[in-house]
Amino acid sequence: MKRSLYALLSLFVLAGLVLAACGGGAATPAPAEPTQAPEQPTEPTPVPDIPIATFDGKSLVVPKEECNGDYAGLFQAIEAVDDYTVKFTLCRPDPAFLSKIAFSPFAIYPSEWLERTAADGKRTSEGLEKPVGTGPYKISEWKRGESVTFKAFENYWGQKPFAETLVIRWQSEAAGRLLELQAGTVDGIDNVGPSDFEVVKKDPNLVLVERPALNIFYIGMTNTFKPWDDVRVRKAIAYGIDRQRIVKNFYPAGSEVATHFTPCSIPNGCVGDPWYDFNPEEGRKLLAEAGFPNGFKTKLYYRDVVRGYLPQVANVAQDVQAQLKENLNIEAEIVVMESGAFIEASTTGKLDGLYFLGWGADYPHITNFLDFHFGASNPQFGNPFPEIYEQLVKGAQIADPKQAEPFYVAANNAIRELVPMVPVAHGGSGTAYRADVTNPQASPLTNEQFAVSDPGGRDVFIFMQNAEPISLFCADETDGESLRACDQVMEALYGYEVNGTAVVPVLAESCEPNADLTVWTCTLRKGVKFHDGTDFTSADVVATFNMGLNIAAPTHAGNTGVWEYYDYLWGLMKKPGK
Amino acid sequence: MSDTTPSAPSQIAALDAEALSLESVSLWRITWKRLFRRKSSLVGMGIILLLVFIAIMAPWLAPYDPLQVLIGIEDVKMRQAPCIHLLGCPPDQPQHLMGIDGNVRDQFSRLLYGTRLSLMVGFSTVTFAIVIGTVLGALGGYFGGWLDNAIMRVMDVLLAFPSLLLAIAIVTVLGPGLINALLAIGIVSIPAYARVVRASVLSIREMDYVSASRALGGSTAHILFGRILPNALTPLIVQGTLGIATAILDAAALSFLGLGAQPPTPEWGSMLGAERNQVFTAPHLVFFPGFAIMLTVLAFNLLGDGLRDALDPRLAHVSK
Repeated sequence: MKRSLYALLSLFVLAGLVLAACGGGAATPAPAEPTQAPEQPTEPTPVPDIPIATFDGKSLVVPKEECNGDYAGLFQAIEAVDDYTVKFTLCRPDPAFLSKIAFSPFAIYPSEWLERTAADGKRTSEGLEKPVGTGPYKISEWKRGESVTFKAFENYWGQKPFAETLVIRWQSEAAGRLLELQAGTVDGIDNVGPSDFEVVKKDPNLVLVERPALNIFYIGMTNTFKPWDDVRVRKAIAYGIDRQRIVKNFYPAGSEVATHFTPCSIPNGCVGDPWYDFNPEEGRKLLAEAGFPNGFKTKLYYRDVVRGYLPQVANVAQDVQAQLKENLNIEAEIVVMESGAFIEASTTGKLDGLYFLGWGADYPHITNFLDFHFGASNPQFGNPFPEIYEQLVKGAQIADPKQAEPFYVAANNAIRELVPMVPVAHGGSGTAYRADVTNPQASPLTNEQFAVSDPGGRDVFIFMQNAEPISLFCADETDGESLRACDQVMEALYGYEVNGTAVVPVLAESCEPNADLTVWTCTLRKGVKFHDGTDFTSADVVATFNMGLNIAAPTHAGNTGVWEYYDYLWGLMKKPGK
Repeated sequence: MSDTTPSAPSQIAALDAEALSLESVSLWRITWKRLFRRKSSLVGMGIILLLVFIAIMAPWLAPYDPLQVLIGIEDVKMRQAPCIHLLGCPPDQPQHLMGIDGNVRDQFSRLLYGTRLSLMVGFSTVTFAIVIGTVLGALGGYFGGWLDNAIMRVMDVLLAFPSLLLAIAIVTVLGPGLINALLAIGIVSIPAYARVVRASVLSIREMDYVSASRALGGSTAHILFGRILPNALTPLIVQGTLGIATAILDAAALSFLGLGAQPPTPEWGSMLGAERNQVFTAPHLVFFPGFAIMLTVLAFNLLGDGLRDALDPRLAHVSK
């Protein structure tokens, strides 16, 4: 009897420990609530969004009047005019239409396959692991935790791949990737470690390809928290951090100090005044004016994840910590957060200190950088700044970069004046290949096309990236590792040139706009076949966009169910429930 | 000169104390003798004394502030290899015995200051665990019954988890940081000490001199803490010495994982973790902290083994 009692007691203690570990606290300090945040009432029951699109197999249409109502999306209609012509009608002009439509998540699937692999609101395992596209490779096998193998598609409409077999493997540590390349067990690797650049350059058996810096690393501040609500404090940070020192010491060759938020290679990215020069005296003066002559204590949040825009995150964090102390007498406590929690907290404006974040180009257009971060609906930096977003709205409706320039000058100058964040660097990164690999690539958009590279005459091309793809149904994925794998299999109406950012026709022969950029008519390529042998037609294009945009469609079934890029770049066809 | 004659009980007490003192002195003498006969324990002791010296003298021994970023102060590069003038490094270059770390700080100075932290971690966590573990083990062993069962079942629960995994879980709940890491390592170390003390108390409490003390009317506290515990110290000392090594390893592991000491604190585990990717390009940044951890753990293990042999009467003939 006694023994049973003690056993029960032990179970209670064990359960208590497990519960404490699960819910007793957080791995990282919970971000404080904003100073100006109103009291939160009990969270109301979410009302489901209302679908507004109709689809009949040949057209996907939203009632025209919805464009002036609650519908925030861009597409009013997508119609198959004939078997090889598709017409996209927009609610408002979009000068970045071609750049967006070329992006990997908008690749075209066969309509029958979309129906077959959707069940009960979820994509089947076949749908997630063996997508059917029109690309130069088709999926052969995905050994979870090990590799994805592709085989050349015999009926590919374009140039046949050099290697019959493509294998994508992964390894999270830069040193491990380099070791595999040096050992000759892989033909190419992604993201060479910054300190390994010289090693690769000196090795005659390897070749380094530097990736242009089409990204931004910035130090964010949320203006709903003290002391970041004072623009003088934010400016003091801008003056007090030696960005040149950070780039010189912690970034690889090809990186540059950010003069503006958007990289200069993007039209209108660098118009307006350049960012402040390093001037700690001015920073201390501003801090004193703001009531902090002796500095203050704050936190410095980041996630310990390597990205092209921030290749040595821990080192940069410690350097910024040291600089804040040395230049502004600000004591910053470093707080490393779990990646998902950090993204959630930073992008919703819940971090009360400084934070490290960055952005890599999805498509090469200024709207991809400025509109997302400084738009009216983004709470990331606290209360949005009308001085910035009003200019962005005007600029985004003009196709000609020259005509749009005055609006982006005003927006960039407003960003500089209001300092929602401090742009630090456009980080260069690089890939490395065995010396005999032809056409070695390091795409600025990280969408290397391995079909056009010859691995020294070998039958198998093996590329090693940072991580395993999450799924291969990339219409509903966002991570670069998944998208790169999908890019070998899938094709969109347009694509990006190999190793570049210019858009080139792929499944479309051309897409022509009307005068006010609200209607785009695309003529499709004839004779293209999907991997399952079916012909590519305009019905597949409409069905694919119906799958991604129409929340009522039975085929609107993905992996995450978030449809982030369809939602963020086009807007799902819905209006909010009342 | 006093003409007062001492009373009989006080005389007995004085004799008792003298006898105890003589016995105690001889026990320690024998222990020291045995310990000094073992070369390995001497080596362990020597290393520990050296580490303690380094820890105390770190501000004077370290050529640089361990947090000082040398960018703009000296012409050095990130992750620069060691520069030792005696070994041919040009005299016009600043000397850095263990090179420069990933944040352009002197690795040697950081390693010296790291000694302080590692020893502090070892001693403080073991002290914490010994104090709590001894009290729990002594109470359980002496009183037995439901109290003993309750205490030991909790200890069993703690022991059911791999110690490092439990420490990670505790730090995850409390949040990363050195103090929380110390607390976690201390907590997971408690059961080992509680069990050792309980086992000793269980055997000693039945001995004649304890029964005699009880018969003479000694209080429970006096018997437990004055008579039993002093005689249960031997295994505790051995366990504690070996426990320091484990605690240092656990702390280094937590810091390696980013759960222990936070940057820019110079801690061997975090230094190792921060540069783990540079094992081929800057091996000195991984080698020196790793070697320091290995040396410290080895020293405490050697001393612990030596103490175990020296304090164990059954091994007396072996250690001659």
